[in-house]
Amino acid sequence: MSPAARIIGSVAVIGVVVVAGAVWFIRGPGPLAFADGPRVALADYKGADPTGVPAELAKANIVERGAYLAKAADCMVCHTTAGGKEYAGGLGFKLPFGTLYSTNITPDKETGIGNYSDRDFLNALHRGTRRDGARLYPAMPFTSYTYISDADALAIKAYLFSLPPVRAAAPQNTLMFPFNQRWAMTFWSVVFNPDTRFEPDSSKSPEWNRGAYLAEALAHCGECHTPRNLAFALDNRRKFGGALTAGWRAFNISSDKATGVGAWRDEDLVSYLSTGHAAGHGTASGPMGEAVDHSFSQFAPQDIRALVAFLRSVPPTASADLPATLAPPAPASHKDGGGIADSRGKLVFEGACVSCHGWTGQSPISPFATLTGAWAVNDPSATNVAQIVISGTKRHAPEGVISMPAFGNAYSDIEIAAVANYVTARFGSKGSSMTAQDVAELRKQTAQ
Amino acid sequence: MIKLTINGEPKSFDVPSDMPLLWVLRDVLGMTGTKFGCGIAQCGACTVHVEGKPVRSCMLPVGAVHDRPVTTIEGIGASPAGAKIQKAWLDLEVIQCGYCQSGQIMSAAALLASTPNPDDSDIDAAMAGNICRCGTYVRIRAAIKHAASQRQS
Repeated sequence: MSPAARIIGSVAVIGVVVVAGAVWFIRGPGPLAFADGPRVALADYKGADPTGVPAELAKANIVERGAYLAKAADCMVCHTTAGGKEYAGGLGFKLPFGTLYSTNITPDKETGIGNYSDRDFLNALHRGTRRDGARLYPAMPFTSYTYISDADALAIKAYLFSLPPVRAAAPQNTLMFPFNQRWAMTFWSVVFNPDTRFEPDSSKSPEWNRGAYLAEALAHCGECHTPRNLAFALDNRRKFGGALTAGWRAFNISSDKATGVGAWRDEDLVSYLSTGHAAGHGTASGPMGEAVDHSFSQFAPQDIRALVAFLRSVPPTASADLPATLAPPAPASHKDGGGIADSRGKLVFEGACVSCHGWTGQSPISPFATLTGAWAVNDPSATNVAQIVISGTKRHAPEGVISMPAFGNAYSDIEIAAVANYVTARFGSKGSSMTAQDVAELRKQTAQ
Repeated sequence: MIKLTINGEPKSFDVPSDMPLLWVLRDVLGMTGTKFGCGIAQCGACTVHVEGKPVRSCMLPVGAVHDRPVTTIEGIGASPAGAKIQKAWLDLEVIQCGYCQSGQIMSAAALLASTPNPDDSDIDAAMAGNICRCGTYVRIRAAIKHAASQRQS
């Protein structure tokens, strides 16, 4: 070998090693790497089966079992438009590089998945591959669904195939180059999709393993709550540390005591997941509100407890931008608290908000409308405050539906920014400094 | 069966717990003094008191009231602040078309009960959510100050 060839060869080897090292580094640990106990194949696990449905549904037919699992995987929320036919797709995900539309997963043969064989369905769920071989984008959380057992995936398929077929072609994606090159996702999947089924950790309790399966394979919590890396894949070094998704902030749900859920009592977590509200912790809205309405509120109580047991074990990750303590109730008088120079926020608040939320933040209507203690008002970015003002919310309290109107069409960006800044200053421990431009950006990011 | 105390009287009725209190008042109990305006807590016409606090009854599920006493425009004259506000409203001829005025009076009575001598900013803070299409705001402000200046009768 000539010296020149040797040098070129060495450079090539070094290049490959560097690229492989970089890929390995960016890829990071898997979602369950933090629990470093011994893994066993599902078939070899001695404890209660962490997959499948709760005991009371064990004897149900495959369609009923699939219905439970489809709710646990929350398929419907992304595959249904507001007011549209369930599972008929067409919901737009607005990304910085274009809009991506969810697909029709009703059994319509032409526009849905009516022609999918079991193998096709598993390929889509586990490997992110369409029946025609094209690659799915990871807006479809196949890197989570890949952990779903074959039996559970096929139960979900049986449920979907039991639904009436809806003829509805999804709109064309409007992604710009190079993001419109689906084939490129092949490389992404090789690196970021483990393409492996859930393996229980034999050192952990059956309850923990059930919770891990529910959280990682089905409910795909990390897809919103875990920050993403440069390649838009989940960065599990900061697992459940919180992230911005579809224009809403998914807060830190790691076991960090100050900025995660480490200081929440078990019953608070159970209540928040099953009803969307826990006393003193605010109320779920936006995407988490949808997750509660369509998924968690339908969970069997023991599955909620399993989720809580699993959440407790996730290592703490601190959110540096969040205050260490939540603000207590604001003063009863409008004259005290919320001290910011811009008077516009108070003008909007006293006209439109105070009648339900009160000057203290403790609602005279319902605890569901209480602002005190909610992360949203203690978040100095005010993202979720502005979002809920724009889009409103409808919550299912035990006493009935509690709703907040959408103010997005009634107030300008300047007014929404001002009221968000007033609300965070008055009811949070660190006020925000949102601008009209920020509000305009948030309006663009919401899925529709 | 839902049980409430309205203007000091016990009432019970068979309605879904998510029915807004306003519907119960107007349609079930026939207490039509409280008005339906916007239905989304943005105009103030439906204001009643729950435990003395002004609340928009159009957005309040009746099941969320629990055992808290409710006061409506029909009963507010029984409270000292309510009586003073009603008298001031008559003395100063506040009302034009009148549709919003039940709500205005309920908000003003709650203000006077908690803040006996309100200044302009107190009045703004308490009354900004009550909208009047006739534009009686100037007379409303004057009447609240007039009521505050009256001795307990």
